[in-house]
Amino acid sequence: MSAVGKFLRKIFLVDILTGLAVTLRYYFSKKVTVQYPEEVLPPPERFRGILRLYRNEAGEPLCIACKACQRACGQGCFDIEGRREEGAKTMKPVKFDWRLDRCSFCGLCVEACPTDAIRFSREFRMSGLGRGGLVFGHEAMYVEGDDLQARLCGEGCP
Amino acid sequence: MAFKEIALNMGPQHPSTHGVLRLKLAIDNEVVLSLEPVVGYLHRGMEKLWESLTYTQIVPLTDRLDYIAALSNNLGFVLAVEKLAGLEVPPRGRYIRVALAELQRLASHLAWVGFQANDIGAMSVLLYAFEARERVLDLFEEYIGARLTVHGIRIGGVPRDFDPEFVRKIERTLDGLPATIRNIELLLNENRIWQERTRGVGVVGAAEAVDFGLTGPPLRATGVRWDIRMDVPYSSYEDFEFDVPLAEHGDVYDRYLVRMEEMRQSMRIVRQALARLPGGDFTAKVPRILRIPPAEVFQTIEAPKGELGFYIKSNGTDKPERVKMKSPSFINLMSLAHMSRGNLFSDVVGILGSLDIVLGEIDK
Amino acid sequence: MMSPFVADGLIPLAKILAVILYPMLMVIVMIWLERRVVAWIQGRVGPNRVGFQGILQPFADAVKLFFKEDIIQRRADRFLFNISPVLVMFSTLLAFCFLPLGESIRLGNYTLDLWVARSPVGLLLVLGLSSISVFGVIFGGWASNSKYPLMGALRSVVQVLSYEIPVGMTVLTVVFFARSMDLVRVIERQKEAGVWYGFMLPVSFLVFWISAIAETNRAPFDLPEAESELVAGYHTEYSGMKFAFFYMAEYAHMVLASSLVVILFFGGWLPPFPNVRAFAFLGAVPGFVWYLVKIMFFLYLYVWIRATFPRYRFDSLIRLVWKWLIPLAFVNFLAVVALRYLL
Repeated sequence: MSAVGKFLRKIFLVDILTGLAVTLRYYFSKKVTVQYPEEVLPPPERFRGILRLYRNEAGEPLCIACKACQRACGQGCFDIEGRREEGAKTMKPVKFDWRLDRCSFCGLCVEACPTDAIRFSREFRMSGLGRGGLVFGHEAMYVEGDDLQARLCGEGCP
Repeated sequence: MAFKEIALNMGPQHPSTHGVLRLKLAIDNEVVLSLEPVVGYLHRGMEKLWESLTYTQIVPLTDRLDYIAALSNNLGFVLAVEKLAGLEVPPRGRYIRVALAELQRLASHLAWVGFQANDIGAMSVLLYAFEARERVLDLFEEYIGARLTVHGIRIGGVPRDFDPEFVRKIERTLDGLPATIRNIELLLNENRIWQERTRGVGVVGAAEAVDFGLTGPPLRATGVRWDIRMDVPYSSYEDFEFDVPLAEHGDVYDRYLVRMEEMRQSMRIVRQALARLPGGDFTAKVPRILRIPPAEVFQTIEAPKGELGFYIKSNGTDKPERVKMKSPSFINLMSLAHMSRGNLFSDVVGILGSLDIVLGEIDK
Repeated sequence: MMSPFVADGLIPLAKILAVILYPMLMVIVMIWLERRVVAWIQGRVGPNRVGFQGILQPFADAVKLFFKEDIIQRRADRFLFNISPVLVMFSTLLAFCFLPLGESIRLGNYTLDLWVARSPVGLLLVLGLSSISVFGVIFGGWASNSKYPLMGALRSVVQVLSYEIPVGMTVLTVVFFARSMDLVRVIERQKEAGVWYGFMLPVSFLVFWISAIAETNRAPFDLPEAESELVAGYHTEYSGMKFAFFYMAEYAHMVLASSLVVILFFGGWLPPFPNVRAFAFLGAVPGFVWYLVKIMFFLYLYVWIRATFPRYRFDSLIRLVWKWLIPLAFVNFLAVVALRYLL
């Protein structure tokens, strides 16, 4: 750009006006804000929400207490004990403790599980009022939705 | 009123983000005489912790180093492990990794320009840049479920394939980004206030930059052409055609220009990677328990912040003997004193921002 | 026929109340406007929870500040510390007495003047009063007994004082055409001339506007109070209601500056093209509505500029005024005088 051009651009404040035009365009643009909690954007399919245990179509738990998740986990979140009933084909967990306060949501346990028993849910509301709600026993690992919220809050839930 | 030399403390908590960093300044009537960074406020003992975890378990933790660009840390570490273990990643996996790494570079530079502009006062640019970054993070979330601690590059390859629909989504996102980047440039590049604040500020010469061990955009802004993707290619970067932006003055403005251009080049690389995605497996077969015979390796990559390196010493078990991480932010931070000397202390914030440091990486 | 009780007692009382309430009302509007407009420019929505579309947000802020603990440093100068917010607020509000809001309204035999006081040197008084606020800044910075507020206060003072000079010089060009410093007369003269002075004196307007932004410590000249810089300015140590006073006084000062711009350069209460018959229908809208519309435009401009530009560093700021604005204002004045006598 010639020196004259540069000079003219300087005294006629071209850069200032260009900047103002950009922000003006944004002023009239559609806003991307989502009014949470009235509107909630559903998380994508593969979202790493809280870990849950799942059952098969017949309603039976998928977990066979093989402890693959316990071995895969680098943070020590799991404490599992299993037992095989007389005549049953697979083991069932007798103790399945999972700690939310140690989980880093890396997904190694999900990938290790041979039966797809433990998976990420799409639940991102994981706050509670006390630490008690952060340790999940076997039955608690199947709880979802509002019951899960109530469990996380503990007694202090409003 | 003549001020004598005052000791000024920009404490670990201050409004200009970048994490918990303490700067001990000595100023004389507004001019910076000396500067000493004090780090360690975010030290979490990562390197020691890793000695008790298996290689697979370490990968998700590398997300937390440079938390603005998680995939780059993943990539650096797994490349080192694969070199140690002699694992070969199939071509499709390598191309997907390149696409992911360059998308991550885009996201990292967008966050950077937002913070830099905000520190200098242009607060709207922060929002524009972050909105664009969100679009990229949405892609990661769709791919593997997390925006920030992505864990999207694993030992042996990548965790999931790119299906055609996802490729289309990436391309659509890339179509929308140049407009935002252009808006940011219209707001900043020619703006007289921006130029007054950034030109000639925080200058470092090419020879000094190399002496200090500066890497990444601050080095390329002084004119030294060193980009590991070009000069020591990894993960099939040699298959791609891209330019390495260089500048000549080594001031804050040039670092800004270099990063803005790098964003464009990243988009170019991603498009090439997606267009020429080879068929085949996206990951190699990695044994469930990965034991690596005793050896040592040092692998560097061109992370968005600079040269990121991992030194791993294996001892035959499935856990490393020692992992040492070379973080670009830590080395780059050491040149801050040299760059700030002689500048006004209101510029220190701008210069610090232009180095693009992340405390997670510095303190590990 | 209006009784003397009303004409000489009630109406002046109402006007005094108005001159306190009008700036306060504008401040409340400005707090809401600034947050919403900055948010909209940034792609966000801004406060929209407290009351319909967030209009009660300023009240929420006021209540919050009211309940905050009032902290005074042990070694601070208590008298000066307490008096500075008052000084800043007082001088700004007092200047509003001399600003006309619109054309005088005829109510039968009685003419209702939409100003509290009219003085033949109204302009001078307004400029002088708004400069008293500088004292509040110095006292505040000094009384805080802390290095950084003091430095911030000194910088702020240097900034305000330096930018007074281009203000004075550009205002002189207006006075030159209006042949008077009476603010009402300035507007009447613009009507006679048939054009707003802003179009006749664009350079004056531009220099005045830039200086007005610097006078009110607004972006991009807000280094003395910017958060991301080290020194948070003269009001660092203030909390609660005292801080609220500084905050409100800044907005009131903005309104004052906008009013001055409108009166001097944009015809005050005049509609566009005041003397052109074709546009006479615009006169159907009352004068003070035009006035308010124009002030709102400039207030919007303040916010728009804040959301767009980076901050000037202090030395650039001072260099700008001494090397560019003052010579420009001076040359502009000479040129205006020369052209007036040559044409």
